[in-house]
Amino acid sequence: MGVTIEEAMKSVDSSGRDVLLDARNVTMQFGGLRAVNDVSLQVHSGEIVGLIGPNGAGKTTFFNCLTGLYKPTSGTVYFAGEPLPPQPRLVVRTGMARTFQNIRLFHNMTALENVMVGMYCRTKTNALDAVFRLPRHRHEEVASTERARELLAFVGLTGTENQLSRNLPYGDQRRLEIARALATDPKLLLLDEPTAGMNPQETRQAEELIFRIRDLGLAVLVIEHDMRFIFNLCDRVACLVRGEVLVEGVGDVVQNDPRVIEAYIGSPQTTPYEQPGPDSGKGASDA
Amino acid sequence: MDLVNLFFQQLINGLSLGSLYALIAVGYTVVYGIVQLINFAHGEIFMIGAFGAYATWMVLGQPSDWSAPLSILVLLPVMIIGGIVASVAVALLTERWAYRPLRNAPRLAPLITAIGVSVFLQEFVRLFYGYIPGFPDAKSAIAFPSVPGISGATIQVGGVLIQMSAVFTLAALVVCWVFLWYYVNRTKTGRAMIATSQDPDTARLMGINVDKVIMAAFAVGAGLAAIAGVAHGLRYGNIDFKMGFLAGLKAFTAAVLGGIGNINGAVVGGLVLGVVESLAATYLGASAWKDVWAFVLLILVLVFRPQGLLGAKVVDRA
Amino acid sequence: MRVVIPNELKIRYRYPARALGIAGAVLMVVSILLPWAYAPTALDDMTYYGAPSPLQLFFAILPVLVILLLAIPLVGKARLGKAAKIVAWNTSAKTASIMSLIVAAVAVTAIAIDLGGLINVELGGWLALLGGVIAVAATPFLPDSPEPTLYRVKSPKWLQILGIVILMALLLFGAAYILGFEDADDFLMFAAFVVGVVMVLRQFGVFGWLGIAAAANNRVLVLSAFVVAFAFPFTQNGSDANMSVASQVLIFAATALGLNIVVGLVGLLDLGYIAFLGAGAFTAAILSESAFSTIKWSPPFIVTVLIAGTVSSLLGLLIGAPTLRVSGDYLAIVTLAFGEIFRITMNNLDGNDGPNLTNGSNGIPGIPDLNLFGFDFGKAHVILGIDIGRFANYYWLMLVVIALIIVVFTNLNHSRIGRGWVAIREDELAAEAMGVNTFTLKLLAFAGGAFLAGVAGSVKAHYDVSVTPDQYVFLESAFLLAAVVLGGMGTVMGVLIGATILKLLPEKLRFFADYRLLLFGLLMVVMMRFRPEGIVPDERRQLEFHDADEELAEEVEEDLTSHHAHLNPEVGGFVL
Repeated sequence: MGVTIEEAMKSVDSSGRDVLLDARNVTMQFGGLRAVNDVSLQVHSGEIVGLIGPNGAGKTTFFNCLTGLYKPTSGTVYFAGEPLPPQPRLVVRTGMARTFQNIRLFHNMTALENVMVGMYCRTKTNALDAVFRLPRHRHEEVASTERARELLAFVGLTGTENQLSRNLPYGDQRRLEIARALATDPKLLLLDEPTAGMNPQETRQAEELIFRIRDLGLAVLVIEHDMRFIFNLCDRVACLVRGEVLVEGVGDVVQNDPRVIEAYIGSPQTTPYEQPGPDSGKGASDA
Repeated sequence: MDLVNLFFQQLINGLSLGSLYALIAVGYTVVYGIVQLINFAHGEIFMIGAFGAYATWMVLGQPSDWSAPLSILVLLPVMIIGGIVASVAVALLTERWAYRPLRNAPRLAPLITAIGVSVFLQEFVRLFYGYIPGFPDAKSAIAFPSVPGISGATIQVGGVLIQMSAVFTLAALVVCWVFLWYYVNRTKTGRAMIATSQDPDTARLMGINVDKVIMAAFAVGAGLAAIAGVAHGLRYGNIDFKMGFLAGLKAFTAAVLGGIGNINGAVVGGLVLGVVESLAATYLGASAWKDVWAFVLLILVLVFRPQGLLGAKVVDRA
Repeated sequence: MRVVIPNELKIRYRYPARALGIAGAVLMVVSILLPWAYAPTALDDMTYYGAPSPLQLFFAILPVLVILLLAIPLVGKARLGKAAKIVAWNTSAKTASIMSLIVAAVAVTAIAIDLGGLINVELGGWLALLGGVIAVAATPFLPDSPEPTLYRVKSPKWLQILGIVILMALLLFGAAYILGFEDADDFLMFAAFVVGVVMVLRQFGVFGWLGIAAAANNRVLVLSAFVVAFAFPFTQNGSDANMSVASQVLIFAATALGLNIVVGLVGLLDLGYIAFLGAGAFTAAILSESAFSTIKWSPPFIVTVLIAGTVSSLLGLLIGAPTLRVSGDYLAIVTLAFGEIFRITMNNLDGNDGPNLTNGSNGIPGIPDLNLFGFDFGKAHVILGIDIGRFANYYWLMLVVIALIIVVFTNLNHSRIGRGWVAIREDELAAEAMGVNTFTLKLLAFAGGAFLAGVAGSVKAHYDVSVTPDQYVFLESAFLLAAVVLGGMGTVMGVLIGATILKLLPEKLRFFADYRLLLFGLLMVVMMRFRPEGIVPDERRQLEFHDADEELAEEVEEDLTSHHAHLNPEVGGFVL
């Protein structure tokens, strides 16, 4: 509170990297339920941040606040120094794209078309261009097809471009969703449980993919339950419990924090590795 | 003094018209609340209620010389029951054969089906009602049977003259409202309805027979619509196969006005719409435009308060 | 419903079944050499020995097909080679025998009704029925053929083009012939025959092949279709009656195509579409040189068209902007209400209840014929020795309008905007979250559709000579919707077919006119339940309606991979 936009724009953390996402005191209230309570979180460019927490902790709700799907009851989210616009599609334009916990591909469209829909907000062809097949339509169409193929190749889906997304195997659907999000040309990628339902090998591939995305210069904010995955991957981890940030810091600190362990399994005796907690399911209450 | 009387006259008029809308609107709102379907054919269910009541009257031998108390206590209830039977039967048939197979289809499909059912029912009555031996041809309006003691009768309250048909409509709404309240809050099926409207999948898992609940919703709506059909016949003195179109549209407006999915909202919305229409026709003049005002109101509500006056259960199921 | 015959029976009896089928078909063919009817007034004259009437000859084509389909496989798999597998011999023989029985039954029924009793059906008619029954009874005992794979056969370009040209020629011939029928029975029998042939060819695998050929030669297809449509008036020898029907069909089809953008591509239900047509028509009427028009300014028609389209699309914006923000469901009811508002308003703008713009319920009569660049649409012209009358002139104009609408429809569909529409249909929330401006895209479709309706309406005003409010009522909107649903949401071809069928049937079957709306209401219900994708399905719509059908998903995917049409921006759509 009390920080002006100008200050926010200047704000640079100790490592010297820009603050990309700056959520300040975000609260989201549904009737009597306070799903997210006064949460503040920063993501710097080029950083991978993890968001963990048991089921119903408000992680996805927090995501929805960040992406404009929900309007926070109070608090503000700044992206690249500007307060977030109020609509999801405008949020995407400013450079933040997401995937969904329960995959939401356009399942009767091909893989290539799915990715091209992601490019919608970065293309400008209007109705007249399209009807009269003006040069802009043709150039953009060629360019976006090209770019969509590249993105499919990047996430490892070469050769699937004409497959309907509903016919793709589960793991490929997750990767296609990432490709679709990348197509919006984001600066920050928000992944909601990208390895849910994956086998260990697929999880490793996902991990490697997220590193490569980081290497492109993107920041990544990822919700995950798989502890090994998250502590391998993330520069920083925040643990959300009952709508509040319990701990935030580098992996080791969070991992060994007794409060986190307690929140997950109720007893400090076991390490989170062996028992990922009561939340391996999808958790409708979190949606 | 005259101005005051005029106002009250129009207020009563509007309230009785509004009761008519409210009785129909409940059907839209209950069905929408549970299956998120705008049942365009509901106006036709209302129309069939009126024709069913007429048929009952024909079967009874067109009694026109019964005494007023006998007519009100026996004839009218029997006619209403006849109308309800017809409406409920048709509503359940359409639910079973037209809507149920489409429950998991894209939303466009049941909407188109509803339009088809609506056109079909109108035309069916128009073409075939007259084929029943002794029945009048329904291609143009039919004079609704006059019920001694109600048709044409009035009572004087202060300086205001009230039609008995208006009293009947208002009374019918009050009785139905009480019945609805009891049914929804105090019976097992009613509570199952609430559960289903909030989450059909969970309701199913909890052992609720969702099919039955949906049928109950259609039946309740149809029953009320049939009563409205009789009220319409008594009020205007005639019925025709097209009567459900405009009445249905107005009633839907009432449902949206009150907040779709909300039963009390439908009643309040209906009454408000009726009063607004009646007063607007009196004080704004231009009675030729009276049907336009309702729709303008509908659009204004959608712009400024899409959840309606009392709040909708669901506005968008994205 | 369906009788399942065990496979071992099919294997055991396949030769007797084949023989019996051929025998039945031969009976049917022979029957046309005998009289079918006692008197010549039923159908066309079917009373002669050895001199079949045209309808009998058409009928015979079906049993001949049965014979061919049953006899050719007898030469053996070895000699047939690839042809043994790529087409469906047995299944199409089954269809062909069923359809010949149906056509024969239609004919016999018509004779019995026309002449007063079955006594008037002569030996030939009974023989045809008997043969049909034998063939229908025998063919189910044939083993089922696998799905035809004719479409996979690589054929040279000239063959593909030839196929398209033959199809188009048949279409022209069929259209000219079918319009020529004065008598409802003749029409019904011929229509049954056409449906039969189409279904047999489809079963056989010809349509799959044609689909591929059409996709590969998109431009040839479109060009030839327009050449055929353009040539149609020349086949009518100046007959005004037929050209009047044909031009009405085109006006109806143009409007249905516009509606298809809203319903088929975006999946929004617009129940007041006819009001946009009406708005265009009234605008054109008011700006025409009619003595009854209320505004004494008459711009050239080109300007009028644009004004009419703009007025309609502004109305579309007015209705769409508040509604589309809320939910697709409300749009249906608000457009329905809008249709009513439009009708009431047009009735009230009569000088009593409002300013005089439309003369109220009298409307605006006496709208003069169009005159474009000195070409008077009201006058008959002689071209190539054939009288081209008023209706033919409007027919050609509507052809241009339809071409315009098809270009708009197809090019938008195959573009960034079209992809956005599909995404909205599939998952509106996800589309919004991926940066698609769903509200603007829906509004664009809605207002764009209204614009096209306005354009069509402005031509309709001149064609109809007078414009009155009661031409533009809700039932007409429902009628349009039925055409879209019957033909196939999201397809051009489907809606053209749907509109033609729906407009032609009541014209040709007068007895049916009173039941028109009853049947169309029923049609919408039945189509939604059993074939929501319509006669000519758009593959993606088909998938959406049959969400659980994994097999279909595989099939569609295979088609997509074999076409590649949508991937190449140069192929999808038309370049102007």
